[in-house]
Amino acid sequence: MDFNVLAAAIAVGLGAIGAGVGNGLIVSKTVEGIARQPESASKLQTTMFIGVGIVEVVPIIGVVIGFLAFFS
Amino acid sequence: MHLFPVVEVAGLHIDISAFIAIFVSAVITFVIARLAVRNLSVDNPSKLQNFMEWVVEFVQSTIASTMPLHRVKPYVGLGLTLIMFIFVSNLLGLPFGIVTEAHHAIDWLGITEAILEEHGGHVELAWWKSPTADISVTAGLALVVFILVHFLGLKLNRKHYIKHYFQPYWFFFPLNLIETIAKPVTLALRLYANIFAGEVLIATILMLGVVGIPFLIVWQGFSIFVGAIQAFLFTILTMVYISQAAIHDEHENEH
Repeated sequence: MDFNVLAAAIAVGLGAIGAGVGNGLIVSKTVEGIARQPESASKLQTTMFIGVGIVEVVPIIGVVIGFLAFFS
Repeated sequence: MHLFPVVEVAGLHIDISAFIAIFVSAVITFVIARLAVRNLSVDNPSKLQNFMEWVVEFVQSTIASTMPLHRVKPYVGLGLTLIMFIFVSNLLGLPFGIVTEAHHAIDWLGITEAILEEHGGHVELAWWKSPTADISVTAGLALVVFILVHFLGLKLNRKHYIKHYFQPYWFFFPLNLIETIAKPVTLALRLYANIFAGEVLIATILMLGVVGIPFLIVWQGFSIFVGAIQAFLFTILTMVYISQAAIHDEHENEH
């Protein structure tokens, strides 16, 4: 059984769950905030992108580790 | 999976493709910047001048969201360089790639018979990639930011900079140390992982052949977006760290 492929799949899958749930929370709160105060939409959008960038670091590192496991 | 042409010189591993890519990216950024400020005109600005003015104002407002407006000016040059260099670098690996095949051992590139056998007789060497798809380039950028943040903190704001390691309580010192190490490490890894994963996925989609063309178009469009976001994120996080170390506490005392 090829454990490298399984390891890569598990790493990417769990990372995807983390990124998905985290980004969903961030964007949903941003949408709520924009709905409350439409005039601050651009500032909220900027903060949302910064938040997404910070939250997605560890899942993306997980994806790179998955690639390393998959290709060697 | 492509190998990169790594030459070993005096014990250091030098990646030729990364050097070529950094050089090209720096030249392109420099040329864009110099062309934009040629023949400056207030009444009749050229399109490139308009674009560069927009970029400067964007960077200025970005930095102003982290520190008081009257302190912004010294850092606009740093912000502009970072965002333009990283954005151009992120885009460099998207349009094309240059891959050569090696069927025999090449000693000066470190391709031995053992590696040839591992890959089934022939090895693919990639000579072109985004410079930021290499951990050494992003680590270099993060190192520059790290040195800048602590140098500015010690120079401009020494008392509060040293004090903030022991806040809110003295036993938080190990946690603050970990935070200090984590900041440049995550800066480097974030940029590297985003761009590298994008490039590996392009290589994977190319393996599909003709069927993969719509996927490739969509993925390249998304990669441009990701490249822009990551350049912006690197810049604004640099400014936030500088503001926290050099400006933040000093500003609090003015209240």
